[in-house]
Amino acid sequence: MGKDAGSVSAAKKESSVGRFFEALGNDLKEIGLTFAEGDWKTKVSFLIMGFGPLMRKQLVRGIAFLAAEVLFILYMAGFGWNYLKDIGTLGTVARVVNDNGTYSYNDNSFLILLYGILSIIVIFAFLVVWRMNIRENRNEEALLAAGKTLATAKQDLYSLLDSHFDKTLLALPVLGIFIFTVLPIIFMICIAFTNYDANHQPPTNLFSWVGVENFKNLFSFGTTGMGKTFFIVLGWTLVWAFFATFLTYFLGMGVAIMINKKGIKFKRLWRTILVVTIAVPQFVSLLYIYKMFANDGLINSYLMKWGWVDAYIPFWSNPTTAKILIILINCWIGIPYTMLITTGLLMNIPEDLYESARIDGANGFQMFRSITLPYMLFVTGPFLLTQFTGNLNNFNVIYLLTQGGPQSMVLSNKAGYTDLLVTWLYKMTVNDTNYRMAAVIGIMVFVVTAVISLVVYGMLPSVKDEEGFQ
Amino acid sequence: MKKKVLAALLASAMVAGSLVGCGDSSDTKGGDASADNSAAANDSSASDTADSSASGDSASGDSASGDSASAEGGEAVEYGSGNISIWVAENMVEFTQKKAAEFFEANPDMAGYTVSVEPVGEGDAAGNMITDVEGGADMFGFAQDQITRLVSAGALCPVVNDNATFVTSQNDAGASAAATVGDMIYAYPMTSDNGYFLYYDSSVVTDPSSLEKIVADCEAAGKNFYMEINSGWYQPAFFFATGCTLTYDTNNEGNFTACNIDYVSDAGLVALKEMIELKSSPAFQNGSSISSGTNIAAIIDGTWDSDAAKEIFGDGYACAKLPSFEGSDGKTYQMSGFGGFKLLGIKPQEDAGKLAVCHALAQYLTSSEVQLERFNEAGWGPSNVTAQQDPAVQADEALTALAEQLALTIPQGNYPGDYWTLATSLGDDIITGTLSTSSSDEDLTAALQAFQDTCISYAQ
Amino acid sequence: MSGSMKTKRAISNAITYVVLVIISIVWLFPFVCLLLQSFRSYNEGGGGMVEYLLPKQFSLDSYVYLFSEECKFVRWYGNTLTIAVFVALFQTIVVLCVSYALSRMRFKGRTFLMKFWLILGMFPGFLSMICLYFLLKQFGLTQEGAIPGLILVSVASSGMTYYVMKGYFDTIPKALDEAARIDGASRARIFFTMIIPMAKPIIIYQALVAFMAPWCDYIFASYVAFGFSDSYNVAVALQRWVWTNDYQGFFTRFCAGGVLVAVPVTILFMCLQKYYVEGVTGGAVKG
Repeated sequence: MGKDAGSVSAAKKESSVGRFFEALGNDLKEIGLTFAEGDWKTKVSFLIMGFGPLMRKQLVRGIAFLAAEVLFILYMAGFGWNYLKDIGTLGTVARVVNDNGTYSYNDNSFLILLYGILSIIVIFAFLVVWRMNIRENRNEEALLAAGKTLATAKQDLYSLLDSHFDKTLLALPVLGIFIFTVLPIIFMICIAFTNYDANHQPPTNLFSWVGVENFKNLFSFGTTGMGKTFFIVLGWTLVWAFFATFLTYFLGMGVAIMINKKGIKFKRLWRTILVVTIAVPQFVSLLYIYKMFANDGLINSYLMKWGWVDAYIPFWSNPTTAKILIILINCWIGIPYTMLITTGLLMNIPEDLYESARIDGANGFQMFRSITLPYMLFVTGPFLLTQFTGNLNNFNVIYLLTQGGPQSMVLSNKAGYTDLLVTWLYKMTVNDTNYRMAAVIGIMVFVVTAVISLVVYGMLPSVKDEEGFQ
Repeated sequence: MKKKVLAALLASAMVAGSLVGCGDSSDTKGGDASADNSAAANDSSASDTADSSASGDSASGDSASGDSASAEGGEAVEYGSGNISIWVAENMVEFTQKKAAEFFEANPDMAGYTVSVEPVGEGDAAGNMITDVEGGADMFGFAQDQITRLVSAGALCPVVNDNATFVTSQNDAGASAAATVGDMIYAYPMTSDNGYFLYYDSSVVTDPSSLEKIVADCEAAGKNFYMEINSGWYQPAFFFATGCTLTYDTNNEGNFTACNIDYVSDAGLVALKEMIELKSSPAFQNGSSISSGTNIAAIIDGTWDSDAAKEIFGDGYACAKLPSFEGSDGKTYQMSGFGGFKLLGIKPQEDAGKLAVCHALAQYLTSSEVQLERFNEAGWGPSNVTAQQDPAVQADEALTALAEQLALTIPQGNYPGDYWTLATSLGDDIITGTLSTSSSDEDLTAALQAFQDTCISYAQ
Repeated sequence: MSGSMKTKRAISNAITYVVLVIISIVWLFPFVCLLLQSFRSYNEGGGGMVEYLLPKQFSLDSYVYLFSEECKFVRWYGNTLTIAVFVALFQTIVVLCVSYALSRMRFKGRTFLMKFWLILGMFPGFLSMICLYFLLKQFGLTQEGAIPGLILVSVASSGMTYYVMKGYFDTIPKALDEAARIDGASRARIFFTMIIPMAKPIIIYQALVAFMAPWCDYIFASYVAFGFSDSYNVAVALQRWVWTNDYQGFFTRFCAGGVLVAVPVTILFMCLQKYYVEGVTGGAVKG
């Protein structure tokens, strides 16, 4: 199944790559034609963007193109080029000591890389705008040749509220995502190929490109390699995500069924009690619960006081109990969500399905298995998938409870038995400033998430069977 | 020339600062005036001796004292203006603010600067400095185990010439060694109290000199004994007790060049077994923070928790040096450990004037006068030799216990950050029962071997 | 037969009640503990942890401390409230814009954009923390400027969380739009006068979710505001009291602070619970 989906998407990718080159070829051809067939205004526009539209009294468009070109040149000359020129080496001179004991900072690898990437993207964006400028000229010439009039400035602006309203709506969000999500992610992917760590920290020191050394380190199994630790952590991450997703899902559904049961009163009250855990910020509730279950905490002291246990139960200091407890506490967090979600859906199941099953003599469990469960799985398939991938990266529950501990000599690089990949990554970033390995782990998290999403998505009944639930 | 003038100014600033501090305290608390005066007298004599030793030292020392006169004669130096940010522990914020204000009052020529003091604990300070040196504080307090990390990240400015002389002449030898990486001094010692000892409740613990008896008393009373055995700082109390060593050599860049360790030995085995033995007691709890513990009868902790300990133990409050224990080989060992220091560091500066002001302020904040006041304020044990002789310091119960313990400990040198992580892993292996009383000697030796190999691998 | 059915049902209902009562106790227990601890007197255990539940001596010590001169709790609370209000406002606007454009308009690159954002979402957020920090620093939005910085970051990347609202828009019949367009209304007019009023429940859901998130943000907030306690939010400040050994005897104060944070957020949540349920249910089914 997964293989099928893979080969299909591979085939699709191939064709889309082909299409891309085809489109590129057509584009180049069109650019050539525009130059060859265009008038002098168009030809000047190849150098001075917006010149053609301006001469054709298309003021808004012309000024927009011209401004784009001016801004681009100013950006590159005043800022971008300074960084872009060093991106190959990431800087050569770091910090120098002056005679009077002060310091001067010079090249900063971090900024060189960050703004170098930004400049490359800006160059690409400029090329796209330049291409739009060419096409604009061609379109205008074609329209004029056909004897039509060009859009006025007022019409242009109005279209931004009507036919081009999407551009108005999306401009800022897309820009925001670009600067604060896309750029940092590209940057961190690049970091995975550098030696940016505690010993190579700008502005005091420089870091430089090291190729795939970090990936080799992650998958090496020697005494210094992280291979073993990585797979232990990955294993627990998957186990955790599985239990955290399905246990809360089924228990949450169970609670919802109980509350929805005929004859049960105070439905609102029960729901409200559960929902408190969603409302109270997790850093309050989880930090408190962590203290509650400590070896010398409330729970242990009462268990001992009542004589239920002789010695304290090592809730957090034993890897196995810690893992079990984390999963249980996650139920405490997660059940209210699934309860809320399933409550509404359960009511959608036609009552006569149950009636007829009851007439056939089915008991409660049989009805659940043959009616409720298939329906619910069908409807909430995508939800389960997002829950699962969300749990792979469920930072709060783990970090606020155990901070990944307990550690062991078996595990390297500060990893603990309850660390998820993402908490491990966090510890590397914040405690060790080991950004190079953190970036590699981050990429691995992405790979794991993407693979699982792709495979599972193809298997989802609601995706496979568009006809819907019968 | 400029440097010499600055040095001279610093020296005069020191004296002036201590005088002002003295005047202030006698104003505010009349009852303590006599004690303070004597402290101030001690202090000025100390700085005199510092000066004379510097001048007897070499030609440069001579010219420094010569310049000192001309500076007092009114030669003005432009320090510029700006803001100096300082990070100290939460309970030191107000104190530091007050002292800095007094410093600038006494040094109007540096008054172009303002200070902003932020509560960033010693633990966080190093991490934050390393994350972003430029965004970090100009001056910050930190525990000495962070110094190599900070040096290699370029977050500390070397202390040279007369400033270095100030550090070595005013502080005890361990403190100035702790501020040194390679052959360069990088910080001003603030305290010599970064060690640990035993706080206990005398109504529960009858004999604080024996670990076995302490644990037995705790078990009998159903109370807890706390020691953070999964910390690389507390762990050596066992290993050093049996005679093991663990030290690192560093070079000037803050890199580790060699590791001297002999944990794989009979002594190491005895220490490890004792830790396992301790852990197997139901009274044992892992921890070193009084207020996160419950039902405490005894805890191995440092002076910074003395107020909290007094609060918890009430009338039973008592301190002692660490106990001794009977090892698996039948011999008795006195627990040892680290004696460490808290330091005040200065971030590398781009402006010469600001750098000079930072050094002058750091000297003032670590002078005997201010260290003594800091002791009175929060019980921080001074690193300054003059302040250490003060009767109040000598009479303090916690500090006395610490002093007794420090005599048995090893001055903490420099350790790589990974060592602390590794030690936590070893401790966690004991706590989780991976290494337990049922483990064979071979298993335990294998664990020690792994520990030792990894320690060695941190030095290039 | 019906008699036995009745007893059977009564028994099963009784069991259900018992289970529900147990569940309620388990769910509320930590909060009750938190509340009790917050009222424990400072004289009892010195504000640290204790091994029993009921304080022997009730007092308002911890609350008094939070509002005293030496503690910046009010400031931190104000910071968090500021962040939460602005994030709720702007994030809702951004998500509205994105959802409307993706649900109602068909433009070149629409599916590419959606797929691209889906892929971006698979990268763990912490990965880029250091990069975001230095980006914000360039604009002066760290330390002193951490509050606007945090608002900017939460709002800027919020466009990617359009799923729930787009799903809601998808259920509003397109025929309505088309009718309005025939009458000569522009897209913008339809958006402002028709869609927004119809989307009130989902807008409230979005605002509520956006409002609640900053109360729990301590990771990035502490990273951006480090070394400048005036810019902390409550989560950053309070978790230090638990995790940092510098803060001896701050446990009951943590509890008190936690209560003060939890109560208003919980009350708000309870009032708007209806919309929340609508939002999560819709979002879950759409996937």
